[in-house]
Amino acid sequence: MIKRKSPYPYWFVLPAAVIFTVLFLAPTVASFWFSLTRWDLFTTQFIGLENYRQFFREPFLIQGLVNTVIYAALTSGTKTVLGLLLAVLLTSGLWGQGLLRTVIFFPVLVSTIGVGITFSVFMHPTRGLINVALAAIGIHGPGWLTDPALALYSIVFVDLWKGIGLATVIYIAGLASISPDYYEAARIDGATRTQMFFRVTVPLVKPATVTVVTLSLIGGLRSFDLIWAMTRGGPGFSSDVLASVIYKQYQAGFYGLSTAGNVILFLLIGLIVLPLTAWFNRKEVDL
Amino acid sequence: MTSVVLESVRKSFGSLEVMKGVDLTVDAGEFCVFVGPSGCGKSTLLRIISGLETQTSGKVFIDSKDVTYAEPSERGIAMVFQSYALYPHLTVAENIGFGLSLARRPKAEIAERVKQTADVLQLSHLLDRKPKALSGGQRQRVAIGRAIIRNPKVFLFDEPLSNLDASLRSQMRIELTELHAKLGATMIYVTHDQVEAMTMADKIVVLNGGQIEQVGTPMTLYNNPATPFVAGFIGSPKMNLFEGEIAAREGCKTYGIRPEHVALSSTEGKWQGKVRHIERLGADTVVYLDVPELQTLVVRTDGDRPVKIGETQFASPLTGKEHRFS
Amino acid sequence: MSRRQLYTGIAALAACGVIFVLPFIFIFITAAKTKQDAATLRFSWPVEWQLWQNFMEVVQTRNYMLLLAYFNSTVITVAAVTLLVLFGAMVGYVLQRRPSRWNTIIYGCVLAGLMIPPAIVPTIWVLQLLGLFKTLSGMVLIQVAYGLGFTVLLFRSFIATIPRDLDEAAIIDGAKPFQIFFRVILPLLKPVTVTVIVVQSIAIFNDFTNPLYYLPGRENVTVQLTLYNFQGQFQTQFNLLFMNILLVTIPPLIVFIFFNRQIVAGMTAGAVKG
Repeated sequence: MIKRKSPYPYWFVLPAAVIFTVLFLAPTVASFWFSLTRWDLFTTQFIGLENYRQFFREPFLIQGLVNTVIYAALTSGTKTVLGLLLAVLLTSGLWGQGLLRTVIFFPVLVSTIGVGITFSVFMHPTRGLINVALAAIGIHGPGWLTDPALALYSIVFVDLWKGIGLATVIYIAGLASISPDYYEAARIDGATRTQMFFRVTVPLVKPATVTVVTLSLIGGLRSFDLIWAMTRGGPGFSSDVLASVIYKQYQAGFYGLSTAGNVILFLLIGLIVLPLTAWFNRKEVDL
Repeated sequence: MTSVVLESVRKSFGSLEVMKGVDLTVDAGEFCVFVGPSGCGKSTLLRIISGLETQTSGKVFIDSKDVTYAEPSERGIAMVFQSYALYPHLTVAENIGFGLSLARRPKAEIAERVKQTADVLQLSHLLDRKPKALSGGQRQRVAIGRAIIRNPKVFLFDEPLSNLDASLRSQMRIELTELHAKLGATMIYVTHDQVEAMTMADKIVVLNGGQIEQVGTPMTLYNNPATPFVAGFIGSPKMNLFEGEIAAREGCKTYGIRPEHVALSSTEGKWQGKVRHIERLGADTVVYLDVPELQTLVVRTDGDRPVKIGETQFASPLTGKEHRFS
Repeated sequence: MSRRQLYTGIAALAACGVIFVLPFIFIFITAAKTKQDAATLRFSWPVEWQLWQNFMEVVQTRNYMLLLAYFNSTVITVAAVTLLVLFGAMVGYVLQRRPSRWNTIIYGCVLAGLMIPPAIVPTIWVLQLLGLFKTLSGMVLIQVAYGLGFTVLLFRSFIATIPRDLDEAAIIDGAKPFQIFFRVILPLLKPVTVTVIVVQSIAIFNDFTNPLYYLPGRENVTVQLTLYNFQGQFQTQFNLLFMNILLVTIPPLIVFIFFNRQIVAGMTAGAVKG
């Protein structure tokens, strides 16, 4: 039997497929090979797992790895919890809540470099707004970005400032899809506000939760712009993350090492996000 | 004017066979209705004729030409969908003229033909509106207009009246029948509503489980159903059908008698029963009799007949109106 | 509205005002200050308003580099978004309408594109092979490659709401596949197209990392790169630096004012469906 041509031809996928394969898939596959080499774009010298051993040997590289996980965990965890709380607050019928949502969301759309520079200025040890305000109530503010112990966490704060709006807005959409019937039934059953939150809201807002956790984890693990704009990984390498390490190694000409960093980041994301998504989907709430 | 011929058409979806060998001829200029319960394959058959579905085996001929593997636009057909499928972003005029515009006909020609079609269907004053600004009946007519302008050899209708309310439906039934008379075209019409089938068709094809149960004129199907299925499908209220002992006594496998062919009497009759339920419809009354050997017998009688629940009544079949199926 | 809601609302607005609005006010007033005034980094009203002069000075820096940057960023954004809409819709269309074994592969690629961090140096290597490294066209294609996943997802789920009947009616009318797509489907995709354009435009305009890697060099600066580079340039001229930040913030602000709803809709797509 002759198969007639489908009105949905495969060649429609071609342009996108070509661009995606050549500029994304191919380099990703190639990165596994190049990470096993010493490379300067012209010559390649196979060195096996030496690049990876370096990553787990050199303090500045290990620090980057550790920082990446800390950064991602902190930003993702806070956005997940705080985002939901804010969303609940902003759907409770407050006066001016439309304006509030807009105000919280706008930083999501602003240039990360711009935000980074602005907050670096705010965090200036002596003249920055934050420490000036603290001094006015008698507290001597630390060097937010100059103290190696604090730098990474200061950047986490700015990341949250910029990104909490997106988490909140996603949760608001998720909350809107929960039928009021569930709350009314819970009220008839005598549930308190807290109980309603944990027993109705949290389970039923799960699709949004999964989205927020996944997006913020991936974003947190890959974070680069903010860190680069505010500290360039410093002081020293106390606020380096994998993405900034990748860049620094690239700048230094150690392409193989840089690419190894890429592979490690890839594996890190896979090892964290995939099991997490599977875990989430297993605990399915059937409506 | 065209005939449509189907030869041994089969259709399977994977391992599920939905069309089990259909042979059919639709004569030129006929209004042929495919009728049957949900899932019987009537829509599938229509789509195979249109070319939107490809049969697994068998042949399709339109106007004596083998169109078994032809594209829908090459078969000389036009289709009116259940949902009308009007392009929401185009005006009525653009909707009707869409096919011509695809074929790159000159603008003047398109405008002229659209105008003619719109006149036939009384849509001329609506040409600039978008579908969402039209009523259900108007949208129907635009869908028909889009079909007419193609000058098709065969019109295909896929349950076009299902989305309309009852009063509009009866009005559109008349309009469609008049349209058929005016155009004289071959029309194949799919519906699950046996009233539409009976009132509109020149020929009815009753389908069940992917096979043709019977083909015939409305009155043929009514008076001489070939199988218990056809008997039970045509006519409302449904024909009384009995199997088992009572059928054996009557000398067949299934015995049938229509409610309107049973005479009711308070004194004597073939069967005796107690009135269980009464439906007064105004012009008729439908009485449900509990008869021991038949269980329930449904009888249609006059609207103002005095019957009461719990009464004993006698029922007798009219001669010549009994059906015995082997 | 209850008392509680009113007071909480006002309190929340005040708190959010300080946290979220204050920084932007700071940017604006610092951008209007003189050099010395700005150097104090105080949150104070400008002693002397120099908004226009600062603007002119920033624009003229390094031979009008900012204008070139804006031009480049605009070209990249417009070109990339156009290709994304076109190619993304085509893939989303086939993905949704045609059930086939390839679909799992395509979905896998979409997911990969959203999760996997691009392999930077190998990509540079590929770009060099193609002669696209350090070129605007190369940058455009990169943005398309990285943005396809999200775009395809958005189009696919929207196309699911267009009834197949329309495709079939068009087929009967004699439409060929690309005619069905361009004359029936694409016009009906307007809402999601607007969303894609708005969301991707902002993302590409704000992108710093990718131009940093793939567009080094003076001729091809983008807006974000220029801002970053000017940090060194304006080390003692905070007024000019913040004027630059202000200029970079304005385009997304304008888009946001007009397309707030679409942006939010685009970014929450998937949140409700799960």
